[in-house]
Amino acid sequence: MNETKGKPATAWPAPGRRTDEWSECLVLIAEKHDRAAFSRLFRHFAPLIKAFALSGSTMSANHADELVQEVMLKVWQKAAAFNPEKAAASTWVYTIARNCRTDLFRRLQKFDTPLSAEDFSPEQESEEPFALLQSKRSGDRIREMMAGLPADQMQILAKVYMEGKSHAEAAAELDLPLGTVKSRVRLAIQKLQVQFERA
Amino acid sequence: MASYHPQLELLTEYAAGCLSLAQSSCIAAHLNYCGECQRGVIQLQNIGAALFEVQDPAVAGDALLDRVLKRLDEAAPLCYSRPRRSEGATPALLQRLMTGDFSDLPWRKVTEALRISYLRTGDPNYEFALYHIKAGGEIPDHDHHGSEMTLVLEGGFSDDRGTYNTGDFIYRRANEQHAPRALPDQDCLCLAVLDAPLKFTSWKYRWMNPFLRLHAG
Repeated sequence: MNETKGKPATAWPAPGRRTDEWSECLVLIAEKHDRAAFSRLFRHFAPLIKAFALSGSTMSANHADELVQEVMLKVWQKAAAFNPEKAAASTWVYTIARNCRTDLFRRLQKFDTPLSAEDFSPEQESEEPFALLQSKRSGDRIREMMAGLPADQMQILAKVYMEGKSHAEAAAELDLPLGTVKSRVRLAIQKLQVQFERA
Repeated sequence: MASYHPQLELLTEYAAGCLSLAQSSCIAAHLNYCGECQRGVIQLQNIGAALFEVQDPAVAGDALLDRVLKRLDEAAPLCYSRPRRSEGATPALLQRLMTGDFSDLPWRKVTEALRISYLRTGDPNYEFALYHIKAGGEIPDHDHHGSEMTLVLEGGFSDDRGTYNTGDFIYRRANEQHAPRALPDQDCLCLAVLDAPLKFTSWKYRWMNPFLRLHAG
């Protein structure tokens, strides 16, 4: 991808209704083992998981399909752990996909480790309604504001998050100084209003 | 309550899942002490989720769906369930890398004041070690060919740039020299993640350098 090539106008999901459809599917899976709801969820998320698997990596199509299966099986098995008040369904599915992809990469590199990526996921520590609301609002805000990010910042966020590249790897690939990459990421994060309480 | 935290770029790479296994472990252990960073990382994950949603979808057809539907009745693999996060306790992730307690680990005496125990994470590129420094004791002047992450697990230490207490996270790049000293009232236990062996610079300890090869893996 080069810097000038703009992404085609993307349909940014509205933060309200559309996300709820997938939350409802997850609740149906958890409570009723509803296979029809699972199939709907699969048709929406499997193509995204596969795109995520293939993005920027050397992963073969077979491994990408394997990853889709693994992630969707986890979705089925763990649906009861999904809490719609904590996060959007897509955030929950994304975290599972990210963890499974990291583990798959480590398996492919023959890491012999007692840890799995799931061990690293931060738990939402507070179950307090206000904190939950805050965190969900931050997620909605990020979705809304993402569309307004300049292309150069989007490009680097995509490298880091979707392609799984470190800042240094992104800098090397785009032939940019490391400092530029870091400051673009920092600017993007500021614009998305991700705030650290100490900042 | 930690007052030294990982930089934004490390937290971002951590949230995106592209930080190395050993370094991720160190950040995860810091989150155990730091609610602020934990909440920040959850927000940073939301960025990933938002990007994930708007990707150009790949083709995953009904044949793949059928394969998954056939597997739905498979028993879920037994999965280790995490204990609840508790303030002050040994981070759960470190407990998974040890059998027993810190005192049960094999410790290697480096100097009168310093003992080191290596933990195995399976990451071939980084050494993951616990440093035990006696109260008031010093780690001899050293520098690094690579980067060094340090997390204070018990007690505290200070160097020319500050004083660090339990939960504090310090990141040093290659070729920064320092001589940390444990606080006088309590032994200090730290986690250190290195990508190149540390190198003593003072003449008194330089002879040890060949013995401090990287214990990665």
